[in-house]
Amino acid sequence: MTNLKTTFRSARDNGYLLCSDCEKLHYLHQEGQHCDRCGAHLHSRIANSMSLSWACLIASMLLFLPANLLPIMTFKTFGQGEPNTIIGGVLHLLEQDMLMIGLVVLIASIVVPVLKMIALTILLCTVQFGLQTNLRQKTMMFRVVEWIGRWSMLDIFVIGILVALVQLGSIAHIEGNHGATAFAIVVLLTMFSAIAFDTRLIWDNGTSDLPADSTDHKDDS
Amino acid sequence: MQGTLTHLIACHECDLLIERVANQPDQDVICPRCHARLYYTTLNSIERLLALSLAGLILFIPANLFPILSLRVFGQSQSEIILQSALSLYEGGLIVVALLILLFAVVVPLIQLIALFYISFTLHYRWEGRLLRQAMHSYQHLRGWGMLEIFLLGVLISIIKLKDIADLEIGLGLYSLAALIVVITLSSIFFNPHQIWHQIDLHRKQSRSHD
Repeated sequence: MTNLKTTFRSARDNGYLLCSDCEKLHYLHQEGQHCDRCGAHLHSRIANSMSLSWACLIASMLLFLPANLLPIMTFKTFGQGEPNTIIGGVLHLLEQDMLMIGLVVLIASIVVPVLKMIALTILLCTVQFGLQTNLRQKTMMFRVVEWIGRWSMLDIFVIGILVALVQLGSIAHIEGNHGATAFAIVVLLTMFSAIAFDTRLIWDNGTSDLPADSTDHKDDS
Repeated sequence: MQGTLTHLIACHECDLLIERVANQPDQDVICPRCHARLYYTTLNSIERLLALSLAGLILFIPANLFPILSLRVFGQSQSEIILQSALSLYEGGLIVVALLILLFAVVVPLIQLIALFYISFTLHYRWEGRLLRQAMHSYQHLRGWGMLEIFLLGVLISIIKLKDIADLEIGLGLYSLAALIVVITLSSIFFNPHQIWHQIDLHRKQSRSHD
């Protein structure tokens, strides 16, 4: 082996592949077979990673419109009350001087999904078009996006709890509306998009920010 | 042929091929290129997981059977268990949302706890473990889909939203839920996939040599 500190080479370039489930190293020619340890299908990169990730991302962007324009729930006291959208709910909380809670809901329901979609778009675009960027930063960005995305489900859970709790007939009554369905699917799709995206593609395309040049020969053949 | 691969390892995030190095129990091996954590050692991982998953399975029962919150207005009262969130939404016609809440707050955490209990029990007591692979796959693929901690934050927000208009009472279910979240979080910290797969390898070799 040549010194690995100066030459960064991927496992695939060296004829190896990593099992995606149990992380056992296999030879590249075993691609398509099953891992002898965990039985998972062996592949060196997620199949159709980019197309799947794009598809889920674009679908989630389209659904983000109805998710924000349609009401998510209706709060009726003594027969009165109007349907609320996500933004409406946040504004309502802010009006009542519940600043912290309003901010939490605003971040979870609007800021996080929007940032996640932007981040995924940046990642997919740079990989798709081979743009030169800081690869380590992009990996960091992906990790944050992947971790934080699930917190957007917060508003959905709040609706679920309120709907179950406030069922007092004509006195007070909360019901869910179909904006919530759209929003839940938005969150689901962004999570699928992140899962479909193969982080190794970030590193496959560019090696520009590495101190070692990847053209350096390795005499392993 | 497989033996020649044991001194090498590839990073699961950037596919960098590096040589495996020995590590102390308190040392993480980090990918030099993308800084992902490649492997590490968890002491008594199996025993801890066995204890935690058992505790989790026990806590799961009160967390789902006892009311999380009760609400009282003008003499009428209404209490809520986790399952009811899904049920009420289903009755209100939001079938997809109801299904997602059921999955993320009830089904996924339960499957993960069962899988974890099966894995740790089988490895600790050296049972045959025919379903070890499946249990590992289900646990690993469901990581990130159990959302009890988000549900708990949702409960807190609901309390704040309703506290001005009604009397709220926190039920036993909420305390069990909080404890369950602590147990699940701890178990995901002690779940060391690399190490457990290695132990499954050894486990299988041992049971083969017994035959």
